[in-house]
Amino acid sequence: MIVVNTDSLPGYEISHSLGIVQGNVVRAKHVGRDIAASFKNIVGGELKGYTELLTDARRDAMARMLAQATELGADAVINVRFSTSAITQGAAELYVYGTAVKLATSTTRAAVEGTPPPISVT
Amino acid sequence: MFEVLAAYIFPLLILAVAFFSGNVIASRHEKRLSERQQTVAHIRTTDLNRFFKPDHSIQANLCTAEVTLGIDHFRGFLGSLKNIFGGQIRSYQKTLDRARREALMQVIEQAHMTGYNAVANLRLEFVDISGKANMVKRASMVTIIAYGTAYTTHAPLNEEEQRSISPLPAAIG
Repeated sequence: MIVVNTDSLPGYEISHSLGIVQGNVVRAKHVGRDIAASFKNIVGGELKGYTELLTDARRDAMARMLAQATELGADAVINVRFSTSAITQGAAELYVYGTAVKLATSTTRAAVEGTPPPISVT
Repeated sequence: MFEVLAAYIFPLLILAVAFFSGNVIASRHEKRLSERQQTVAHIRTTDLNRFFKPDHSIQANLCTAEVTLGIDHFRGFLGSLKNIFGGQIRSYQKTLDRARREALMQVIEQAHMTGYNAVANLRLEFVDISGKANMVKRASMVTIIAYGTAYTTHAPLNEEEQRSISPLPAAIG
């Protein structure tokens, strides 16, 4: 599955759209992280615990979106956007959405045979 | 005696520690960002939703990064003082700036490490994971998600062009 946040793809033409696919995750911080972060917060600097939390949330949301796209038989998800909302204290929603599309190899600017498979988004 | 200590000395001590460590952490971070900027200086970045002379044989790919920076207690305290009268809160601006630079840098580095030489349609998103309670408390944090589409370009790169499209200024005042 190719995932991009642009509305076109190099080497391919979009043959048709399969509609919007989306994934969301609500993640709560846990108390241990809160305590560790509150100490780190005194001096400033990166709060790694929260960064990790967000990375996990983003991965889960993306996985859900990609599962939907796979179900629709999509080749790619384009125009991906991230959106977030704070629900209560200590919990945040990460919402990711995009358009699932079927691809056709471009006649004028074809992707070369044996193109490396998409690098999985970490 | 202990009451005086608890009421005045400890908070002052924390503020002083926060001031020094905050400064050290911030300046170190900025220095490191500038160094990392050198290694990815050739990566073409834009927030335009288009590819410049893309290599059609190489698949584009989404790169994402997130970063959370804490605003130290001293700067948080300054900010809350400033909040009474209004006006610019420079210390917050700087922290936000660093968070954005860090997130952008991680996206660009990811593109660099996976073998691409350009990033299109860069987007930055502010996340509120602190919740409402932290709006009242003085110390807070900023979280930024950055994402963009990495691709390979054949567009020529000269220094002037590179400078005009680079979103990461070399120094921030």
